[in-house]
Amino acid sequence: MRKSILLVVAVLLGLFVARPGFSQAKLKVLFMPGVADPFYYTMEKGIKAKCAEMGVDLTVAEYPKAWGPENQVPILQASVARQKYDLLLIAPTSTDALKAPLKAIYDKGTEIITVDTFIGDGDYSKKSDYSFPLSYIGSDNELGGKLMAEHLAKMVGEKGKVFCEATNPDASSVQGRVKGFKAGIAQYPNMQVVGVEWCQDVQQKAQEQTLAALQKNKDIVGIFGTNVFSAQGSYQAVVNAGLTGAVKICSWDATQELIGALKKGQVDLVLAQKPGEMGSLAVDWGVKYLKDKKNVKVPKKVLPGFEFFTRDNVNDPAMQQYIYQ
Amino acid sequence: MNAADAGAGAEFSPQAGRARAGTFFTSGPGRALARNWAACFLVVLLVVFSLTGTNFLSVVNFQNVVHLQTLPLLLAAAQTFVIITGGIDLSIGFVAGLASVVAAKLMQLPLSAGWPVGEVIVFGAAGALLLSLVPGLVNGLVITRFKVPPFIATLGMWGIANGVALKLCQGFPVAGLPDALPRIGNGYLLYVLPGSFVSFFDKPAGFPDARVRELWRLVPFSLPFILVVLGVLAFVLRRGRFGRHTYAIGGSMDAAVRAGIDVDRHLVRIYVLSSALAGLAGVFNVFQTGIGNYTTFSSMYELFAIAAVVIGGASLSGGKGRIQGSVVGVLVLAFMENGLAISGVEPFYRYIAVGVLLVIAVVIDKLFPDLF
Repeated sequence: MRKSILLVVAVLLGLFVARPGFSQAKLKVLFMPGVADPFYYTMEKGIKAKCAEMGVDLTVAEYPKAWGPENQVPILQASVARQKYDLLLIAPTSTDALKAPLKAIYDKGTEIITVDTFIGDGDYSKKSDYSFPLSYIGSDNELGGKLMAEHLAKMVGEKGKVFCEATNPDASSVQGRVKGFKAGIAQYPNMQVVGVEWCQDVQQKAQEQTLAALQKNKDIVGIFGTNVFSAQGSYQAVVNAGLTGAVKICSWDATQELIGALKKGQVDLVLAQKPGEMGSLAVDWGVKYLKDKKNVKVPKKVLPGFEFFTRDNVNDPAMQQYIYQ
Repeated sequence: MNAADAGAGAEFSPQAGRARAGTFFTSGPGRALARNWAACFLVVLLVVFSLTGTNFLSVVNFQNVVHLQTLPLLLAAAQTFVIITGGIDLSIGFVAGLASVVAAKLMQLPLSAGWPVGEVIVFGAAGALLLSLVPGLVNGLVITRFKVPPFIATLGMWGIANGVALKLCQGFPVAGLPDALPRIGNGYLLYVLPGSFVSFFDKPAGFPDARVRELWRLVPFSLPFILVVLGVLAFVLRRGRFGRHTYAIGGSMDAAVRAGIDVDRHLVRIYVLSSALAGLAGVFNVFQTGIGNYTTFSSMYELFAIAAVVIGGASLSGGKGRIQGSVVGVLVLAFMENGLAISGVEPFYRYIAVGVLLVIAVVIDKLFPDLF
């Protein structure tokens, strides 16, 4: 009798102890966005869908109100202090300032994937003090800028002055786009970048700066706005200057507003990053790795590429998935 | 500012000479110069940039600058009233963003229900203006009933207004509004093709895109609008009882109470007025951009409004300031940005220039306290 009770207890205990080995507790994923804007909201949707599909728990940290480590790090640290996560998906808002906080989180046993932006130079394949993240999943901004320049050049017949309305001079992604754009335009001997302005994500400022540029160089034929706010501001400046149609505008990020403007003929070319896909890929790789650390080899860099919207393909059903919403 | 003011300055110079007797600034022209240094500085800016910047000196450029300063002008006017009472209103930038989002959201609903565009626009604009009275009322009551310093009370509203706006729009600019909005907001009274035609309100139908560079567009709609609003505000401040009470409260709260002014009530009105003007700025922004824009943190509208008011001769300790001065302050900041950009100065130097200018403004205020 006594023996059999002991046996039952032993079996039950064994079951309990063995349980985690059979079916693990749900993996916990934390998403730390860079700033409150449509791009990261769209990324969150991709992450959410993939997490539901793979059956993992997702927590979305508070969206920082403004770009920068001083806003992001406190939110990040508060989130990880509340609970331990298996996987952190983060868009670091500084290439340097996020190294130490992320290392501390990594050392406590959380795997990290940086999405959209990166730490260090974004190359985690060689050994360095910032090579601990599993992977960087984002856009090659420099390549995007270059492709943008080439598309714009084709539109304006490969000659004339162009202008660039950028946002924050201290963000790696924006610098990359501007650099790529300049390099792209430099391939055409009859084209010239006449100026780069920084609007700090304020649409009104972008509008003022673009109007000033159009005033200074009356023969500008094309403008590149590096994100939502700068593109929207520059197209409004072109409308203000009464130059709709005479100045081609290309812009980065397929927000509904910009897609609407493209349909109306106020904007001529829109580059879509794939934030939803970035998020989805990050969850996919991260969870696969956590479930089978020995056999899954995560690529250190995943670049989902771009899509270009023009008036010809904007109503194409296959393109609709790339509009941010 | 104007000839009459300069004359008044000259008249008083003999008595005011006690502290720095015999210096240049106690002479008639000297006083006029120091008193209106911001306006003089604006003239200097215009002259210098006309020489250094290609196409700076042109009707088109000046029209553009003034048109785009409509929102900052409204905010600076709002801030002028508050600062004269010795207070400060940090919430105006985000109240403007909130009004913008609310107006756009209010327009979306009836638009999808098939209302005529005119009614949709009036409905959205009126609704947003009405709502923009609320933050001011709350600010005013918190400041007067609970004696919370204006800085803190309006800082609280700063966060609340922004939070509500972001919640309403979910972080996306509100799009899909009537096309008529930006056409009205960015329209001109006159369209002229030299030697060919003059057209009112819109360019002639079918005018080819290729020739738009030859078209002259004169008097943006925003110009009469802002002139009327500022004119009324300046009149109210200088001539009416409302204005007298405003200066009295800023000059000395105790004296105002003893003079029988209902200070609490007046302050509530001031904050409601400030918030209503911010709401007007937000609604104007919808007309200008055609979308409901929340205010981003990096825009710092409230701080630039304060800077403009201070450059325009107001004192943060209250009792001093004029609408005309604040207008000059806004224009100084705007033309400095525009002129430096057109002259090809690297953007980062402009931040430095604005900072230096602001400090100079306050130093002048401290050096010559009895000038204004």
